[in-house]
Amino acid sequence: MGFPPYLERALLEMLLLSVPAGLLGSWIVLRRLAFFTHAVGSAAFPGLVLASAWGIAPPVAALGTALGFGVAQERLARSGRLAGDAVTALLLIGALALGVVLASDVFGSGAEVDTLLFGSLIGLSAADVWLTAGVAAAVLGLDAALRRDWLAAGFEPGGARALGLRPATTDRLLLAAIAVCAVVALDAVGALLVAVVLIVPAATVRLVCDRLRPLRLGAVSLAAVEGLAAVWLADALNVGAGPALAVLGGSVFALVALCAAAHRRWTT
Amino acid sequence: MTGWLLDPLDSPFVVRALAELLILAVACGPLGVWILLHRHAYAAESISHGMLPGLVLAALVGAPILLGAIGGVLVAAAGIALVARDVRLGSDVGVAVYVSALFGLGGLLALVPDAPARLQELLFGDLLGVDGTDLAVAAVLAAGVALALAAGRRPLAVAAFDPTAAGALGVRAAGWELVLLALLAVTTVATVQGLGNLLAVALVLAPGAAALNLARRLGPALVLATALAALSGVAGLLLSYHLEVAAGAAVALCAVALAGLSVLAPR
Amino acid sequence: MSQVVVRGLQGGYAPGRAALTDVSFSAAGGEVVAVLGPNGGGKTTLFRALLDELPWRRGEVGLSGRPAYVPQGDRTRLDFPLSALDAVLMGAYARTPWFRRIAARDRAAARAALERVGLAAEAGATFGALSGGQRQRVLIARALLQDAGVLLLDEPLSGVDSVSAARIIALFSALQAEGRTLLVATHDVGQAAGWDRVLCLNGRQVAFGPPATVLGTETLRQTYGAELVVLPDGTAAVGVGHHAH
Repeated sequence: MGFPPYLERALLEMLLLSVPAGLLGSWIVLRRLAFFTHAVGSAAFPGLVLASAWGIAPPVAALGTALGFGVAQERLARSGRLAGDAVTALLLIGALALGVVLASDVFGSGAEVDTLLFGSLIGLSAADVWLTAGVAAAVLGLDAALRRDWLAAGFEPGGARALGLRPATTDRLLLAAIAVCAVVALDAVGALLVAVVLIVPAATVRLVCDRLRPLRLGAVSLAAVEGLAAVWLADALNVGAGPALAVLGGSVFALVALCAAAHRRWTT
Repeated sequence: MTGWLLDPLDSPFVVRALAELLILAVACGPLGVWILLHRHAYAAESISHGMLPGLVLAALVGAPILLGAIGGVLVAAAGIALVARDVRLGSDVGVAVYVSALFGLGGLLALVPDAPARLQELLFGDLLGVDGTDLAVAAVLAAGVALALAAGRRPLAVAAFDPTAAGALGVRAAGWELVLLALLAVTTVATVQGLGNLLAVALVLAPGAAALNLARRLGPALVLATALAALSGVAGLLLSYHLEVAAGAAVALCAVALAGLSVLAPR
Repeated sequence: MSQVVVRGLQGGYAPGRAALTDVSFSAAGGEVVAVLGPNGGGKTTLFRALLDELPWRRGEVGLSGRPAYVPQGDRTRLDFPLSALDAVLMGAYARTPWFRRIAARDRAAARAALERVGLAAEAGATFGALSGGQRQRVLIARALLQDAGVLLLDEPLSGVDSVSAARIIALFSALQAEGRTLLVATHDVGQAAGWDRVLCLNGRQVAFGPPATVLGTETLRQTYGAELVVLPDGTAAVGVGHHAH
């Protein structure tokens, strides 16, 4: 291929990300975990700032803050003093504020912060792509193993236990998987736009699809196509893949929603 | 000790920032309590994130940020209201898609052109840069919101506490939900100048959450939330001045910290 | 003089899809009407129609004044920062303009209402800290404060401890004596037998009349369908699934 190396890596990364985007994205949509996904990605921001300052590998720092966020979220939501989405919102804002405060010391110009928040096309290294490949494979395996648990727990949490499943553990694994995928998606799309890769394609397919298998296959395919198109667009406009995918994915979603609504209106 | 507290007031920027925060506290405090009682934390978060394109466009064409904020909020809120109705998708997913798309669009508009659109300020606020006009606008908006919330206290309480019986008690629950969301939009517009679109809701949600944890009754909770919002402002400004960190973020961090501490308080 | 007159009522939540059809009945002051029916059969829909809160509705509804409504007990927020007395005072909101404080007379009436349901001592307690039965009684006190001629009660006795239940039943008699009309949605056929009228709903009106006439096995079968259980001694009982709205 005649692509420059950075473009090859970006294309490969988005292609690999389509696996978690489709598989986990379907679960995120079905299990109503959208806010959590967005928050866990954004919560990585302070970790990334520290990684720059202390020279740690960004994925490690991001994973640390993401998991910290997850634990805090669960503990606080369980304490019952605050409603679930209030906890998520406050942790999200706290993480962003913390990141900014740390960044005041660490970064000279604003450009690095923009890259952390919105991703960058040229910042991907070969190691990042390998990491994503590993995570994609792990997601395939985890999904194959826990698919039924996740479905049962989402459908009727009380009944799941009666079926001999352990929803609490498997659900934590789902949340952890989402956190890990958010971390590997970070460098491509940015901390604040993790949702566009992990949620938007699956949500788009969900608009017209009722059954699990076509939903998952469709979501993976759409994520791949949109991801590749987004890289091309981002390269043309000289921005990160995140904003490009947001606009692309959002437009496709709007189009499909309008068509679905029109179809419903015409056939009722 | 007093030097440490009063030194920052030597700077006119800090004085104006303090005025801005105290003005905003009057609206954000009670509003946060109501938003939490009505379970709209996610909507609050989403509206403020989704207004970014409006802010960026205003910055790019040189229009006042206030106009961009108003436009951005209208587009965000209208879209969210539409999208949240899709039962099949689930309201939170639809809203997440719409808001991420808007936010990404804002990022695109800001990063594509060669001339920077002061993205950092739009995202995280320019608290020390507020001028007299900003203060006046904030005062008008905050007063309006505070008065509306005070006048609507009873119907808002009924609509949150018992929406099923609200009609029988003479309260149009759906109508008051819309009023609350409209007041949220107005408050977000007022707060975005100082705290930016990512951190604006901190001053709304965090003091409210803390107040609801500490107060047993609605009246005290509303007052306490205002006091805690003001306290977050003061503490944040002190932190920002003495440690030389971003002011808006420091205020947001103090507010969230207060909310965190309130969870430790005994029931 | 009838306080509730309904003729040819039909209505529902989506235009064109009737959740309830063909309802015609009337109830006079001082009467307690049991509303029987399976889950989803239209009891709550009827109440919402009477409160004029159904998205669409056809037919005639005549009510003497705005009815008071006591919803099913598990619908209110338990984490709300208000006391039992605050909850009762909501009954006076409709008649207090927004710029006025609640009248002292209404405050006294609220305390009296709590007294009537046996919770005077709990006036200052946080609403969410009360037991299910106590919460139900507070909501009834709220309805009392509204001083309405017609009260709609949606399963006021389900999941309620026996002390609360006894007080609530006693209260019904007192309200009847005051000339008020009560419509009580219930699953308890035995209780319905003791009241003035019974209205059976299952998407449509199956029967309406005095319990002796209405509560036969055939009518109950038409009302409850598969949920009906006929006991060996010939009495009928209704198996009730857990409410999951």
